[in-house]
Amino acid sequence: MSVQAIDQPTFRTRAVAETGDPRGWFERNRGPIIRHAVINLFMIIILAPLAWVLIMSVKSRPDSMRGDFWPRKFDFTHYGYVFEKIDTLPVNMFNSIYVTLATVFLTATCAVLAGYALVHMKTRGMGIIIAVLLVSLYLPIRVVSIISIYEIQSFLDLINSTSGLILPYVTLNLAISVLIMRSMFQLVPHQMIEAARMDGAGHWRILWSIGLPLVRNGLVVIFIVNFVTAWGEYLLCSTLTNDQEVRTMPVVLAAAQGGLGQWTWPALAAVYVLVVAPGIIAFAFAQKLFFKGLAEGVVKG
Amino acid sequence: MDNRGGGAGGATRMVGVSMAQATAAVGYGRSTSIRQGLAPWVFLLPTLLFFIGYQIYPIIRVIWISFTDFEFLSNEPANWVGFANYIEAINDPLMWKSLWRAALFTMMFLPGTIILPLLLAVLIDRVTQPRIATVYRVILLIPAVIPSTLVFVLWKWMYNYQVGPINHFLVEVLGIFTVYDAPQWLGGTPLTLPAIAIMEVWWGLGYHTIFFLAGLAAIPKDLPEAARIDGANEWQVFWHVVLPRLAPIMMILVVLRFGTAMAVIDEYLIFGGFNRDTPTYTWTIFMYDQAFKLGLWRQGFAAAIGMIGSVAMVFVMIFLLRIFRSRD
Repeated sequence: MSVQAIDQPTFRTRAVAETGDPRGWFERNRGPIIRHAVINLFMIIILAPLAWVLIMSVKSRPDSMRGDFWPRKFDFTHYGYVFEKIDTLPVNMFNSIYVTLATVFLTATCAVLAGYALVHMKTRGMGIIIAVLLVSLYLPIRVVSIISIYEIQSFLDLINSTSGLILPYVTLNLAISVLIMRSMFQLVPHQMIEAARMDGAGHWRILWSIGLPLVRNGLVVIFIVNFVTAWGEYLLCSTLTNDQEVRTMPVVLAAAQGGLGQWTWPALAAVYVLVVAPGIIAFAFAQKLFFKGLAEGVVKG
Repeated sequence: MDNRGGGAGGATRMVGVSMAQATAAVGYGRSTSIRQGLAPWVFLLPTLLFFIGYQIYPIIRVIWISFTDFEFLSNEPANWVGFANYIEAINDPLMWKSLWRAALFTMMFLPGTIILPLLLAVLIDRVTQPRIATVYRVILLIPAVIPSTLVFVLWKWMYNYQVGPINHFLVEVLGIFTVYDAPQWLGGTPLTLPAIAIMEVWWGLGYHTIFFLAGLAAIPKDLPEAARIDGANEWQVFWHVVLPRLAPIMMILVVLRFGTAMAVIDEYLIFGGFNRDTPTYTWTIFMYDQAFKLGLWRQGFAAAIGMIGSVAMVFVMIFLLRIFRSRD
């Protein structure tokens, strides 16, 4: 694994620098070596399922049934094949992107506005709002409310509608997003807001030009958290929609029976890689900001 | 989380917010006493609309439905039936069996998802090379950015009888089983709950470790040093110095994970199905089955099942919080 590749040279250079005797070096570094070995074992366990599905997506069909990790023959045509042969695939992909972007945008907007108001526009009744948001995190609302959400959606004529999913999706992470934004805005000094108020700036202006840049890292956390939830939501999507054309990609993938018809194992794996990649790539890019955001106010524990 | 979650609990899986944080915030910033009338409520309006429309109203509505003979497909208006649905559910052995199954799953899942990340965090906390530590942290968070359904789909394949690498490993590499007696992980066998628990531990391993790492970073370095100088061995340092300081984080994780584990539903829908005799037929599936699958669509009865399950688990959560609180 890549981890070891980075790891080992560090030990080797140190060993050469100190004594040049490999056995004595091992004795002296036994603690760190065992520690890194255990850590890397865990890292391999974390990465192995993903590596397996990645390799599966480029296996030839006979190899895919054989079960060996490394294929005898590679076949890179499955990615093209799934787009040609599985006709709902582009639609499902579009549904996923559309629903997710709309959810992320709406939730982030709600959370920024509410977070700002809860910290810098204090009035009566806000303590109750915060308490209700907090308590909702501990309750199984998502599961129990499905009965009533079905009723609401059919009242609004949104059953079997892709756009209709956005409304309940926004609420899935709304409480936690608002609370994250609140703790981010608490880091913005009150005096700063007051000074801008004195200069005659309205709350919208202050939020847009002073507040937003300061809570950027928290916003990244909210983007990622909501992206992950909306992109992979199952319960609501499978309950509120019936037709494959209106569903999101992961829900279609969950219903696909491996090895049957158009869903050969490498084809399934290829779709999987296409669906899982955006999240991991986005995270890889935003990783630094994400950790900063976490450190700044989210994991206060 | 899960939300996991989304997922089993969505974002609550990723981030913990303590009760103390909220109470502290209530009294914050009074001094400015901004009299701006409606302005704050304009800012709060979108959040309140969504939150009331899709969380508070549905819950109140479900509570009401649970006291009626509401059937979605029926044309007649629902009648108030008092506690009839609750009495029927309490007298149904399946109610207790399904609650017990959820508890069983929680008992399989909870220890692993707390202890393994704790161990891993203690190990990673001692990695001094910053670049390697960063690589570890990024890998740790990769499972956390895989959306719930995609985790379940991936592990459904991992456990697959034909092509799944887990059975391949057990049969071909380790040779513990042969093709004929290789374990059947999913599909309502006794192994289904442990299989889901293993998957959930894998999913949570990374970000729970990140949680504990944040807690470890907050411990002043001279505390364990002082204990070592006083002659304590590594175990004693961990047990008496480090662990007590991680207790608050553990408390939040245990309560949150207990909540998500008891209310798991997506995993059971994907791995289990609706056979009443299988271990994945928990109270959540019982509720879903009554509400959406069985020909009757008896949503009044389903709502009562959901309420009994929720109230039972919330009672245990309050009990857990009480225990943890009283220890401080």
